[in-house]
Amino acid sequence: MKVLRIIPDRCTGCMRCELACSYVQTGTFQPARSVIRVSPFEAHTSYAPYTCTQCAEGWCMTACPVGAITISPVGAKVVLDDQCVGCKLCTIACPYGTIFYNPQTQKAFKCDLCGGDPACARACPTSAIEYVEAETADWLGAFAAERAPRHLELQVAGAEVR
Amino acid sequence: MMAKRHIIAGGGTAGLNAIRTIREYDRGESKIVLVSAERPYSRMVLPYYLGRSIAESHVFTATPGRLAQLQVQAHIGRRAVGLDPAANTLTLDDGTLLEYDDLLIATGSSAVKAPVPGADSPGVHSFWTLPQARGVVAQIREGSHVVLVGAGFIAFTILNAILALKAKLTIVEIAPQILPRMIDRTGAEMVEAWLRRHGIAIRTGATLTAIEEAGDRKRLRFRQGEDLMADVVIMATGIRTNLEWLNGSGVGVNRGILVDDHLRSNVGNVYAAGDVAEGRDLVTGAPAVHAIEPTAMEHGRVVGANMAGRDVAYRGSLLMNIVGVCHLDIASFGAWDDPTAETWAATRPERWAYRKLLWKGDRLIGAMILGMANDIWTTNDVGMLKGLVQAGSGLGAWKDHLRRNPFDIKPAFIASGTTARLLPQTILGQPSVPAGQVG
Repeated sequence: MKVLRIIPDRCTGCMRCELACSYVQTGTFQPARSVIRVSPFEAHTSYAPYTCTQCAEGWCMTACPVGAITISPVGAKVVLDDQCVGCKLCTIACPYGTIFYNPQTQKAFKCDLCGGDPACARACPTSAIEYVEAETADWLGAFAAERAPRHLELQVAGAEVR
Repeated sequence: MMAKRHIIAGGGTAGLNAIRTIREYDRGESKIVLVSAERPYSRMVLPYYLGRSIAESHVFTATPGRLAQLQVQAHIGRRAVGLDPAANTLTLDDGTLLEYDDLLIATGSSAVKAPVPGADSPGVHSFWTLPQARGVVAQIREGSHVVLVGAGFIAFTILNAILALKAKLTIVEIAPQILPRMIDRTGAEMVEAWLRRHGIAIRTGATLTAIEEAGDRKRLRFRQGEDLMADVVIMATGIRTNLEWLNGSGVGVNRGILVDDHLRSNVGNVYAAGDVAEGRDLVTGAPAVHAIEPTAMEHGRVVGANMAGRDVAYRGSLLMNIVGVCHLDIASFGAWDDPTAETWAATRPERWAYRKLLWKGDRLIGAMILGMANDIWTTNDVGMLKGLVQAGSGLGAWKDHLRRNPFDIKPAFIASGTTARLLPQTILGQPSVPAGQVG
């Protein structure tokens, strides 16, 4: 099947994928509702987009107590809004953290590959996101590991550790 | 050769997943008999039926038509009352004797009321089965004073629904804190403050001694403190596994039916799944009863595959719970209360955020997370914390980073290669099929 291949070295952190994703998914430009999320590495000197891999297990799909998550014709795990009751079980079952809950609609939401024409891939000006025939993979692990030493020197502000 | 005869005792999540999985593999070759006291439905969605956000019809997981499509011969409204493993027979409560080649026991658990005078009087409800949910639905009106006895996970799943019905709510709990088996004291104090801010009254450390009739209301008496008057009393004081009917059958039982990594009991052709099964805990490796929906689902699928003649070993179930109250999410995973673990906790009170991470060496074995449902830390990190516990990733230097920055989960998750560890993992050793596409 065709998957979203992420090539993190090409990402400039412009966030156009988040804008495009939220626009197609919700009709509004709300990066907070995007299901592809750009993460900063090394104090915002490099970036990488992260989204659902459409994994073989489909932890969200099998966890759903009412069968509200199914596989679409393009192979994406998709939430059926009229079936989802908003119990959030999928959000703890997904070990990748790539299915979310919308408190406004009280439904789960996730990447559905935009029905076979992913907006994020179209919007990316540097081809850091490609929609191609491939095995899904851990696209970011090596990139992030390479940047780990600098990230590990950082202290993220604010946490009161006890 | 005669078709293999499977009996599924129990039509809950475990039973239904077993049936679907058998059919996923055998496409209707075998004979499946379902014995279920009730029409199959999902307990997880009853709170949404209570809150009127879904119709009652939405709770059913298999209609009679769906069971027919799956070629299941269903004995609905019947219970198994006796098992003879030597004769391979199951006796039902109407005297019917059924023969099997293999049997799944997935008879679940039942609600238990606090043993106080008046607990069994009309108007004192449990909220566990669909008929019980109907009873509560019929009683709560706008302005009703609902007293919820017990502040565990089940009680918490119905808080939003009770508030949505514009009822007044008081929670009483015998333990010194709410959610005693799901979160720690610090987390509980934050949740209690949050609930009070939303108009919910809470009384912890309160031992109920009696429920008395008071006209058309109820009077709750306590060992200490003032009486409470209630229009509706809901008792969510615990559950017990439905095992009594197996006494003397020879099936090995501890807190649940002890099962091996194929979810077989000590009787080779008798399996157990879900709330009645005591199987491997993924984190500790020890036998445990995990009376939660995801365990019932995974158990059911593994048993279904094995009943269909596959050889599927189960790695174990991960304890996990999530519940949201007035847009505050509360979740815990794995060994979240292991006193022997190295433990760090951090709060950001201004955002109602709390984290607790539990370690064995550089592996996360449990976690607790509390945060606003629309907070990016909550939405991003809930699943990743589960992933880190599930994958058992060695986090190396990231461990110390997370000690200093417990809200910076994502880079640790990604850089530790946890995605690569997780991607090959499937419960059945093959890609999953959507529930609706079997049969």
